[in-house]
Formats: sequence, structure tokens, C-alpha cells
Amino acid sequence: MKIERKIIDTDILIIGGGTAGCMAAVEAKERYPNLKVTILEKAHIDRSGCLAGGMNAINAYLNKGETAESFTKYVKWDACGLIREDLVSSMAELFEYCVKKVEKWGLPILCDEVGNYQARGRWNIKINGESLKPILAKAARSAGAQVYNWIVTTNLLTDHNRVIGAVGFSLRTGAFYIVHAKATIMATGGASRLYRPNNPGDAAYKTWYCPYNTGAGYAMGIRSGAEMTSFEMRYVALRTKDTIAPTGTIALGVNAPQINAKGEKFMKTRYAEMGGDHSPTPYRTYGPMQEMKEGRGPIYLDTRGLSEKQVYDLKAAYLDMYPSMVLYWTANNINPAKEPIEVQVTEPYIVGGHCQSGYWVDTNRKTTLDGLYAAGDVSGGAPYKFVSGCWSEGVIAARAAGEAIVGAGSKPTLHPLSEEQMAIEEERTYKPLLMMGKIRYPFSPAELEARLQKIMDQYAGGASTGYEMNEELLTLARERLSHLPDALSQLVASDWHQLMKAHEVIDRVDLAQVLVEHLIYRKETRWPSYQTRVDYPKRNDATWLLFVNSRRDRGSDKINMFTRPYKQSV
Amino acid sequence: MAIWIDPEKCNGCYGALQPPCLRMCPGDLIVKDVAANKAYLKYVNDCWDCLPCVKVCPEEAIEFHLSPQFAGKGARLIPHVVKGKDLIEWESIDVFGKRETFEIRTKLIAMALDEKLEGEPQPIDFSI
Repeated sequence: MKIERKIIDTDILIIGGGTAGCMAAVEAKERYPNLKVTILEKAHIDRSGCLAGGMNAINAYLNKGETAESFTKYVKWDACGLIREDLVSSMAELFEYCVKKVEKWGLPILCDEVGNYQARGRWNIKINGESLKPILAKAARSAGAQVYNWIVTTNLLTDHNRVIGAVGFSLRTGAFYIVHAKATIMATGGASRLYRPNNPGDAAYKTWYCPYNTGAGYAMGIRSGAEMTSFEMRYVALRTKDTIAPTGTIALGVNAPQINAKGEKFMKTRYAEMGGDHSPTPYRTYGPMQEMKEGRGPIYLDTRGLSEKQVYDLKAAYLDMYPSMVLYWTANNINPAKEPIEVQVTEPYIVGGHCQSGYWVDTNRKTTLDGLYAAGDVSGGAPYKFVSGCWSEGVIAARAAGEAIVGAGSKPTLHPLSEEQMAIEEERTYKPLLMMGKIRYPFSPAELEARLQKIMDQYAGGASTGYEMNEELLTLARERLSHLPDALSQLVASDWHQLMKAHEVIDRVDLAQVLVEHLIYRKETRWPSYQTRVDYPKRNDATWLLFVNSRRDRGSDKINMFTRPYKQSV
Repeated sequence: MAIWIDPEKCNGCYGALQPPCLRMCPGDLIVKDVAANKAYLKYVNDCWDCLPCVKVCPEEAIEFHLSPQFAGKGARLIPHVVKGKDLIEWESIDVFGKRETFEIRTKLIAMALDEKLEGEPQPIDFSI
């Protein structure tokens, strides 16, 4: 099989043209117009990733009276006391800059009669964001970034501790892409489909987090020996039943409290000391989880008594983000004013923008690898990013990457790959395709995905164990996962799409193994529901108010675990 | 299956090799049968219900249905993109045929019927 090679030399490479990646591209081209900025995008940049369906709110914004400091304090409280305050506060300082920019590009933001943004709670503003993604994509293109669509990035290229580019293949032509870069910004998003999904069969991809974000950025970092943080802070979300649509639209939009089967406002009665219906986010998942476990489910958001206009506005809000919610109500003859909206708990995701799993970075979003920056959901230590925080991190990473290239001091140069290195990476990328028909007992990507998801579900705190875990279960997860790398060598793919699916499994196996080590290491329960250790059920600030970090050794593939201190500034 | 492309309505966007529905699917799930000149959802179990394909289809040939696990068939939700007005008019029809509409602001980004492959930021304009 002769594979066509495309070699691209660039100044700044952005892997992933999503929320963070598009904003990074614009910032880089505006500040450093002479630098060449290249985006590798797995889908088509106009509608790829998390924002494909749209958004109806910007959920991290400083409404009147709030400051970067008050935001950082709130996020720390919401994340049960542990965050990188330096990262959260530096992103908050750029919310205004980013939101104003996107508004200028055409995003409709809802305003009141005197022209102020309409607030939805302390940190949220309402938008008509159905087309948020095409708006960002157009801005990135107009700014002069070179966009390569349908490129599945499979590995970072490194020279000792320096990242010198990346490789991947085209989903359309199959060509092998080798990109040499002076600086690289990782912005691939988080990871879905690590755990068995709540819905089987034809609705398995009806997840909350984008099912096409499969942890590629985490996995590439892990394989390259980058230091990673806080994977154990998984995200398990409270979402509407079946459609798995975000509940903030209801809970914040019309102030609907959670109730159990008996109509009891259990968050108010049982979690009053945490803040009731305004408890930290993990508790707003843990509360209903416990109600269901103890036989008081189903759980609802109580929308009864809403006015006709409120219901209409609620539907309109969902149409901008999760249209399936509206179809679900009409198809099932549900009127939220007459009956409460049933909610459920999702499968766990790894998402640095809601929680804080990802690359360990400095305030410039530089990772522990030279020449590599991380922004958005792949970047760790800073939860509560949502959309606008990902934008902020894109801006910060782009400024730092540009400065590293044009600023004072030693400047990075391009390191072209040797023919030998290219051949190694090419073989790794195309192996599942090359193995087709050559293995007696092959696995399809779907088969190995099912095995991975079953292990994670049953041994690493999935839905089937009520999201709970203990040392013994996790040790079994570690053991079961240890067989998967061998199985991956029997992975085959029949076409370019299947080759993408194969790499999605390869990446998630690398991620899952590190995730399980993180879950084993933290011997306390800091974030109930995200990380419920039944053998260490209490939060233990005396020992565990610190970050659990990891680095996989590049030679032995051994995962080394260690801690980093928490630093308080607010 | 979450979307269904009505072969009666799909005109293949004329000779487009990369019609808008195919380009706008974040999961690479839609392909075009070039011989039949029709697009179809190839990977029916992998759909996220995100709807960009439905919105960009110039022929409104793509229907959105919930998984049979969630609801019966019969209700409809149709986004009508109002060109030149930055509006989407959503039409919601329940199982009894009762209709509700929503006019929602948006920012429409122009889209060509076809686009060259990777690395070519300039779309080819096949629109007629």
C-alpha cells in the first residue's frame, strides 16, 4: 500500500479547531500576523466538536459586581476546595475580552431594555448560540489560519522533551500528514465513551459530552511523557432523562428545584449545609444519585406551574442548543407546566473544562513539554471553563506560543523528521489498516471499545456500580485494562472511517489506564459522585488537599504517580 | 437512527462530492452514493442528534427523529432557515398535529454546495 505523504511546515500548529482552537488561531494571527498558523481538525471546522449543536448561554462570565477574584472563590468552592487558582483567575480576566470579540463576529447575545446582557445566575448570560461554531470557524479562517479539515491527528512528534509537530491522516484521502511546528497548541477537547453509555444500541451516542471527542489530546500527551493532573475528578452530569440535555437551562432559567418521587425538595432538606439546590456541582449529582439508590426515585426538576410563556421560552432556549429536548416533549406529550421534568445521571466523562483533568500547565498554558501548550478541555487544573474559559485559554496559549517564536531569547526552529522517524510514525498510524486480513483473530474497533467500556463501567465507577468504587474494584480495573494494549495489536480497520475509530480506541485505552491510576491514588472522597471512594468516604483536607499528577515513562510505559501542592491566593 | 435523508427530496446538491450535510456532520457519519447522487446516514447508531446536517440541507430533505427507545414516531421538529434574515423558524408538530413555531435569531454563515478537500480554505462555488 503506497501512502501519499503531505509535509507541512508551520510556526504555530493548533490541534483541534474547536472552542479553544479557533480562538487561539484568531489571537495568534492578530498578534503575530507574520506567523503561519495551521489548524488540524478531525471533522469540518464549521461544525465540529462540542459546539456543533450550539449553545444557549455563556456559562462563565463576570456579571455586574463580580470580579476574577469572586469567580475564583466560587469555582474553588464548587470544586470542593481544590483548584489551580492562578489558572482560574487568569482565564476569568479574559472573559470580557473574548465575549466582546465573539459578539463582534455576530453572536446574538440577549440584552435587557437598556442594553445590558441578560444574566442567568451569577456567571451566565443568555445567547442565541445555534451558530456559535460556524461563527468561530469563520473568524479563524478570516484571520488567516490555514485549516486542514478531516485530519485525524494520531501522535505528537518529539525531540527529547520538545514537541516539534504532529502526524495524522486524512479521513478523506488517507494521506499521511506530517506537520513540523515551532510551537504546538493542543486543543482537542475531552473524552467521551470511556464508560459504557447509559443508552444502548441506536442511542449509544446520545451522550451529553460530544461523542466524537475521544481523548486524543490527553492520549498524545500521555504517550509523549507530559505531566497530567486530576483525571480522578471525572465529570458525571445531572441531565434530562433520555435526551441527556443540560439541566441548567431549567434549573437556572426558571429556578426549578430538584424533587424526588414523593415531591420532597431533597436538596433543601438533606443537603442544606452544602447549599441545597445551589450546592457544589458534584453534590447536585450526588444528591439525586443517593435518592435513587435509596428508592426515592425518579428525580425531577419541578417545572410545574410555569406560565405558558415560560414554557415557550424554555423550548426556545433548548432549540439553540439541544433541539431533541423539544421533540422529546412533543413526541411524548409532555407539558413542563403540568408535569415535572425527569432527570438522570450520565455516564462519566473526562472533561477539563467542567472538572480539571488534563495537562499540568503553567499560567501561560505551557505544558511540561517544551513547545507544547494546552487550552480548553484538555488543559488541567482549571474547572468551570465551559465555553468562555476555553476561549480565554486559547488566547493565553496563543500569546505565549507566539511570544516564544518571535520574542527575545532562544527561538525555536523547525526540526524536520528523518526518513526513519517518518516510517515509524506512518506504520503506527496505518497499522490497523495494514493488519486487515492478516490476523487470524482480529478485533474491530467497536469490539474493543465495548470491552474497554465494560471494564470501566463495572470496575472503575461506572453506572452499573452506582458510580462508586473501592481499591479492590479499581485494582481489577487496572488488571483487566493491562490486557488491552496486547489486544490493540489485533485491531483492524477496513477504511479511513474505521481507522479513525481504531485510533479513538487506542487513545482511550491509554487514557483509561492513567485514569484508573489516578482513581486508585486519591484515597479520600473529594467529589462525591465524580469520585466516590466507598473505602475512603470522607473528604480529607489534612492529607489530600493537593493535586494528584502522573507521567507515563516513555521507555517503560510505566505510569508514575506523584502529588503537587495546592497554593492558596484567594 | 436519529436523522433520515429522504431520497425523494435529496438531489445530491447537484454534482457535489462534499455536500453540506456531509461536511457538517461532526462524526463523519454521512456519505454520498455518487452513482445514485444521494447522501445517506451510513453509521446510523453513531448520531449525536446535534442537527447541523438538518439545518444546512438546502432541500430540507433531512428529517430528525428520536431513537425508538425514547418516543414513538409522528411528532416532527423542523428548522426552516430564513435566508438573508439571520433567523431560524422552528416548526414543532406534536403527535396530534398541533403546530407551534419559534422564530430564533442566529448568525447565518454562507455555505457553498461543495468544497475542495483538505488544506484548501477557498470553497468551490457550485451553486446555481
